[in-house]
Amino acid sequence: MIRIQKDDVDITVLINSAKVPGTGAVVVFDGIVRDDGITEMDLEAYEDVAVPDMEKIARTATQRFHLLHVDIVHRIGRPAVGENILVTIVSASHRPDAYAGSRYIIEEIKKSVPIWKKELTRDGG
Amino acid sequence: MTVKVRFFARFRELLGTDIVIDAPKGKVLSELIKDIAKKNKEGFDAIFDEHGTFREFVILMRNGKRVEIGDAAKVTVVDGDEIAVFPPVAGG
Repeated sequence: MIRIQKDDVDITVLINSAKVPGTGAVVVFDGIVRDDGITEMDLEAYEDVAVPDMEKIARTATQRFHLLHVDIVHRIGRPAVGENILVTIVSASHRPDAYAGSRYIIEEIKKSVPIWKKELTRDGG
Repeated sequence: MTVKVRFFARFRELLGTDIVIDAPKGKVLSELIKDIAKKNKEGFDAIFDEHGTFREFVILMRNGKRVEIGDAAKVTVVDGDEIAVFPPVAGG
């Protein structure tokens, strides 16, 4: 499942669905709104492009790292400090592939997918 | 002919988004964006430098496909095009 959504993500459900036959490792990346003196994050996406871009990243990661399952959920809207921004869940037969695939996906998303975040502070900045 | 221009992030804050323009035939991409950006000096300055050239970090898309800023003066928009203009991405 590759998705951009306002709502939060149920990571447990995603982990369970990632345990497809042959799975030996599931790696979860959960990007969180960090408390850097902010109240919330304002997240915006060019969804018409961002979703296909993430689908392409998932396909490439699947081929390159022999992944068995990939979920990417990127939130938009205004998650508060401590809430999830981006969740990626990958499964593979072996731990090195799962780690490497997870790392590849997050780095590629940060590099090229049209999503932006703006930190909102208590004084309205 | 009708062209839609979408600004994102900082550019959206300054110039709005989903702007529908009735563009004349033969209009090139760079001039189309300049015409819209002129309505707000801060918005114009965010996208163009003092010579009216795209700042090097600006990203352009036409119908979801990247257009190099160096080509924007050669690309003619056509009816139904969707143009996107945005700063570097920062997701994840």
